[in-house]
Amino acid sequence: MSENAITRRSFLAGSAGVAALAAAGGYMSFGAWEQACADEPETDQGSWSAYTMCNACSSKCGYKAYVKNGRLSKLIASEHDASAQGKICARGYGYPAIVYSEDRLTDPLKKNDKGEFEAISWEQAFQEIGDKVKAIIDENGPEALALVQDPRPNGAFYTKRFLDALGSPNYYTHGAACNLSKASGYAEVIGAGDFSADTANTKMIMYIGRSVADAIKPAHLQGLQKAHENGAKVVMVDPRCNNSTVFADEWLPINPGTDLAFILAMSHVLIRDGIYDKAYAAENVVGFDEFAAGVADCTPAWAEGICGISAADIERLAVEFSQAAPAACIDAGWRGGFGNQYANSGETARAIAVFNTLLGCWNQKGGALFTSGVSAGKLDEEKFPPVPKVEGKKAGSAEYPLASAGMGVNVYAASLAKEGKMKGMFFYNSNMVAGYSNPAYLQECLEALDLCVVVDIQMSETALCADYVLPECSYLERLEVPAFNGGLIPSVSLRDKVLDVIHPNTKPCDEIFKGLAEACGVGEYFPFTIEELADAQLKTVGLSLDALREVGTVEFPEKAFVYGNTPKWKTPSGKIQFTSEKCAAAGYTAAPTWVAPAVMPAGGNQFRMITGKQAIHSHTMTANCKPLMAITEDYDLTRIWMNADRAAQLGIADGDEVEVSNELHTGRCRVKVTQRMNPTAIFLPPAYGCTSEQQHTAYGVGLRSTDYTTYQLETGYGSTMAHEILVTVKKVGA
Amino acid sequence: MARYGMLINTKKCIGCYACRTACQRQNDLLPNESFIKFHEFERGTYPHVTIEHVPTQCMHCVDAPCQAVCPTGATYTTEDGIVCVDHGRCIGCKYCMAACPYGARVHNEESGIVDKCRFCTVSALDGTEMCTCVTACPTGVRIFGDLDDPESEVSKQIAELNAQPIDGDLTNAKIFYVR
Repeated sequence: MSENAITRRSFLAGSAGVAALAAAGGYMSFGAWEQACADEPETDQGSWSAYTMCNACSSKCGYKAYVKNGRLSKLIASEHDASAQGKICARGYGYPAIVYSEDRLTDPLKKNDKGEFEAISWEQAFQEIGDKVKAIIDENGPEALALVQDPRPNGAFYTKRFLDALGSPNYYTHGAACNLSKASGYAEVIGAGDFSADTANTKMIMYIGRSVADAIKPAHLQGLQKAHENGAKVVMVDPRCNNSTVFADEWLPINPGTDLAFILAMSHVLIRDGIYDKAYAAENVVGFDEFAAGVADCTPAWAEGICGISAADIERLAVEFSQAAPAACIDAGWRGGFGNQYANSGETARAIAVFNTLLGCWNQKGGALFTSGVSAGKLDEEKFPPVPKVEGKKAGSAEYPLASAGMGVNVYAASLAKEGKMKGMFFYNSNMVAGYSNPAYLQECLEALDLCVVVDIQMSETALCADYVLPECSYLERLEVPAFNGGLIPSVSLRDKVLDVIHPNTKPCDEIFKGLAEACGVGEYFPFTIEELADAQLKTVGLSLDALREVGTVEFPEKAFVYGNTPKWKTPSGKIQFTSEKCAAAGYTAAPTWVAPAVMPAGGNQFRMITGKQAIHSHTMTANCKPLMAITEDYDLTRIWMNADRAAQLGIADGDEVEVSNELHTGRCRVKVTQRMNPTAIFLPPAYGCTSEQQHTAYGVGLRSTDYTTYQLETGYGSTMAHEILVTVKKVGA
Repeated sequence: MARYGMLINTKKCIGCYACRTACQRQNDLLPNESFIKFHEFERGTYPHVTIEHVPTQCMHCVDAPCQAVCPTGATYTTEDGIVCVDHGRCIGCKYCMAACPYGARVHNEESGIVDKCRFCTVSALDGTEMCTCVTACPTGVRIFGDLDDPESEVSKQIAELNAQPIDGDLTNAKIFYVR
């Protein structure tokens, strides 16, 4: 053991003492320190470790958390966790500071007549919310209630069960502001909302609008790196030269909103030259001829004029893809390029699923895989009474028929409040107002509700709109139901309770929704504890809660993915559908063809505003976290990115303060002048522009893209079209 | 006795700051106290651009300027070549901050101590679980080990990749860069 380690330990044990001495004007030598610390017990009582999962984004990376003297200390990423694969990102290490934040909510709050929050008891909160819910159901039926949550294990289980028990179909994820178009577009073609690129074996992979080095899921980042180090061709298509290009062979700075033209043109080349997998298409595809006819005019020269990528490059890449196939694919993406960005995002997803089909890469080694999953089996019905199936359709499913049924169109549900059709809404792990679409509009929606209940750990912009705010204990202070993860080898990971509850009047998600259910008269569906539920779920797969607590993650190698199987396509025809009747009915062509983005920048001082991830933040989730916001401050990360030539034309220099405005909002920030941007757009880092004064670290820092967003939804799919924003930029004082 | 050093391969660095926050957690640092600094370079002109991220920290110099100017002997070098700070002896005079050519010394606002990278990852060599810059890096940028052991991974990689100190032989630094 080195001397350095001794120094470190001494510091950890005594740093508070050093501070006290420094304040008193004295100092203590190392020797004196050793002496002073000599009477400390060898093993301290307040030290232990437990397995948990990160909550800084939806990837939920598993790690072992160590506690020293009752406070969180080091975190060790789980080797076998599906998302972590032995690593967690900067957010993972920094986000736990939120647990100790002085901005934590500590008591249930009720908004009084003056619009101020007052602390009330849980009994009062449950009672009053329960009475209001019952009144809404009596008067308007359960379909006047809705709930929005960004799925985590407990949230997904308890909130869904709660809403089912109330008889409301209006259960939404955050999807419409994230990956709804991607998942829904894929589902129309291949009957599945996602797939996994086989990065370990790929010969060519293209990422469109996705940067796994900025929006980090460590397993995916390692996949990209492995592909690169194996010598695979890696192509990054993104208006911004993102940090993943470190591992890429090419960066194609496509004009934002035009990925669809690029993909259609590559498809055109494959079909024109007959270099697609003909046997695979013949066997698995319906609607091929209609698609082929539709792209007959989508030549590379045509696409070049739209997307800005040269016809020669489009030709070349299509040929390279065909040569690498079937060990090649376009990555599934996440939010970035076509999750919820443009008027053509869902159709872009459809085109990508079609293109990958032309490569014949589904479930092939090095291709695009539908990996295996595992889930909890049936539970004892006495102990875990099944909730009757909810009749009725989710609000928005008729207006946005292409939206994935599991996700739904969350903001549409909120908009119904203004029409008096939605009366009560619940939010869990969701900051809709700041993060989903136009905050001013969404605030009006929530204020039109009879009842708005927000469960959170801090005062979000959404919580500010609530009638009742219920304080949850943080993710490190609670046990959750096991997270069953798919993958080449499926696995299950646990979020166990690491820390004692810090604020005694906070409650975990399971107790909050159980309490709400009881107050709403449906408590009979919650006669179990979280421990009993977690243990019962694990018993169905041959494990137990105690066993999983010991190791954090268990894999199921017997259920490992096998290459080469043709999946059962869960589409209406049972085939891969290049044509979709649903899409045609929703106003698109049956086979995907070109759809223009909703707006186009005119040039001059006008730009499209695009967003994307920084590796240290997850939307509004992490902005109030001191160690992460300190990085923002140190490196001036709230700056907008602007192409150097455009900046020069506008007389803007690196670091200048500019005014960014459109008809909805005007704000100021500094500029990063860079060669790394497509000239037609500015990049606004997300996560900033917090307007909740009770988030003291985040409040007032930077701009928020949603302030510039019109409330508008993608035809058929219902996404929020987060990049259909035009702004003008001018130098302050110019 | 060993002579500990590190290799940093910037060709793998994505500038994600995981090393910074992991280090803060492992060493119980303040939110705005970072032992690691980040430098971003973009080269070329649109659209032919390359990017490079270069993290820097205490280079554990053989000729450590911070140690030379420390009036109390708080900065010292162990026999394994790790430059350490005796927190008890530090009077917060910041001479070391002025002397360090790498800007690697960091003033702790609460304790007044001028701290820096401790090469704490040495304690992970025996398999102890730690979240250090080396173990946390998601892309394997960093390799730590004994520079005097020609069989150590760090020695082999430095030789193979021709890694060099960031500023030549300025201070006889023990962190070697691949750029």
